[in-house]
Amino acid sequence: MPDLRTEEFVVNMGPHHPSTHGVCRLILTMDGEKVLKIVPVVGYLHRSLEKICENRTYPQCIPILDRFEYVTAMSCNYVFSLAAERLAEIEVPERAEYLRVIMLELNRIASHLIFYGVTAMDIGALTPFLYGLREREMIMDLFEMTCGQRLTFNYIRIGGVAKDIPAEFIPYCRKTVSVIREKLNDYEGLLNENPIWLVRNKNIGVLPPDVGIAYGVSGPSLRASGVDYDLRRDDPYSIYDRFDWKVATRSNGDCYDRYLVRLDEIKQSVRIIEQALDGLPEGPVKAKVSPNFKPPEGETYARVENSRGELGVYIQSDGTKKPYRVKTRGGSFNQLQVLPVIGTGGLIADLVAIFASLDIILPEVDR
Amino acid sequence: MTPDELKDAVAGKLGDKMSLLDTGRMVPMFEISAANLLTVAESLRDDAALKFDYFCNLGAVDKTERFEAVYSVASIVHKHRLDFKVILDHDHPEIDSVQEIWPAANWYEREMWELFGINIRNHHNLTRFLLPDDWDQGNPMRRDWDAPDFEKLPEL
Repeated sequence: MPDLRTEEFVVNMGPHHPSTHGVCRLILTMDGEKVLKIVPVVGYLHRSLEKICENRTYPQCIPILDRFEYVTAMSCNYVFSLAAERLAEIEVPERAEYLRVIMLELNRIASHLIFYGVTAMDIGALTPFLYGLREREMIMDLFEMTCGQRLTFNYIRIGGVAKDIPAEFIPYCRKTVSVIREKLNDYEGLLNENPIWLVRNKNIGVLPPDVGIAYGVSGPSLRASGVDYDLRRDDPYSIYDRFDWKVATRSNGDCYDRYLVRLDEIKQSVRIIEQALDGLPEGPVKAKVSPNFKPPEGETYARVENSRGELGVYIQSDGTKKPYRVKTRGGSFNQLQVLPVIGTGGLIADLVAIFASLDIILPEVDR
Repeated sequence: MTPDELKDAVAGKLGDKMSLLDTGRMVPMFEISAANLLTVAESLRDDAALKFDYFCNLGAVDKTERFEAVYSVASIVHKHRLDFKVILDHDHPEIDSVQEIWPAANWYEREMWELFGINIRNHHNLTRFLLPDDWDQGNPMRRDWDAPDFEKLPEL
């Protein structure tokens, strides 16, 4: 048989590709099925949120920030409010802090359930998607009864939360977390020891801890590499120090460990929510904040632990009612930056698994 | 370290190159001259007591008569955080790339180059980033830039 003529070729993966979780284009240089070079092209979802915020008052910015990272919009509301509160030194009432923690953790669980379903679907298993979204629906019901929205919540405000929870919230929330705690066994049973899942994830896309830190990878993706760093504990905000919970870490840094860390985090979030429900005090839910809110001159960068890592907002105030500059930072921005480092040299099918396991969503990158 | 201890530690080690500003809230904010950026960044990362190995954020601010590049860095081991800014000339804004020190800065610098028109020296990849490929309308995050169809919201 004569020698086959081989050559490298370039493949466009995306922008409209189901496993790019938004609109992301990867320009791949391929040798057969092997990926030699990855160039991410972003910007398809650029809506210039930061520029829009410059023309809004502080309270008007919060619904804009909902669109920044829409899978966990509560965190976006929260981090902007946190930065504004630090600028103006506003004390938040006890009950509001508890409600915020409950909402943030519920949102984290909802986001990790999306991750659970979508990652499995990218790799070819459809069932986990149905399981994950079924329980997420209960959380969406909780959000809907609290703030009327299922996606862009606009619930957490500067100085507290928009309004108190309805009476039926607490029993339904207790039911939801106990259902999730129980169903976690099902989730783990479906995938943890599934031979196909193991082959597709174990030792794939290994992220060494030093590379992760150098590229600014954060959140569960970094903790899966053995770096014990969680902003809820290490850069304290809100009232997380009052609850008994553990930071979930794993050591291998492969796709499988990134998946396990997220399941562990769901368990910890369930613990936090149960304790917060037990300790929920009575009282006001919002500090007195004028609609003409004007923080004094100054600047601050606030960051919180989101389901995708470090979510940060930098605000510079010039003493007027509009922020002079808002800069947002999302975990996916750095996770996508590290993708060429850990994805090069592998197979194109593994690239899909790595992309999914880093839990990248594109609105957070493009803003 | 608490923010006050951190202020003293940074002032003790790099006091001649970094000056403390009073605009920072919660976390100390320093100012660095553009010429000193690389040496200061390297000491911040490598000093055993500071060890700012984690790059959080970089954003430019257009102050109409000057630019500010605001960096936020953190330490994974010591769990403290620091902000610093570099003041740039408005007519010819130019700054050194810190991606050799913190590789994560790469995309943040690309974004700053594209949206603010700040030139990044020694950056390996200054290409179109967030804006469309055929964009020819300048640097949209500058304060004097208005979109063609821009309408101001009514004042509250």
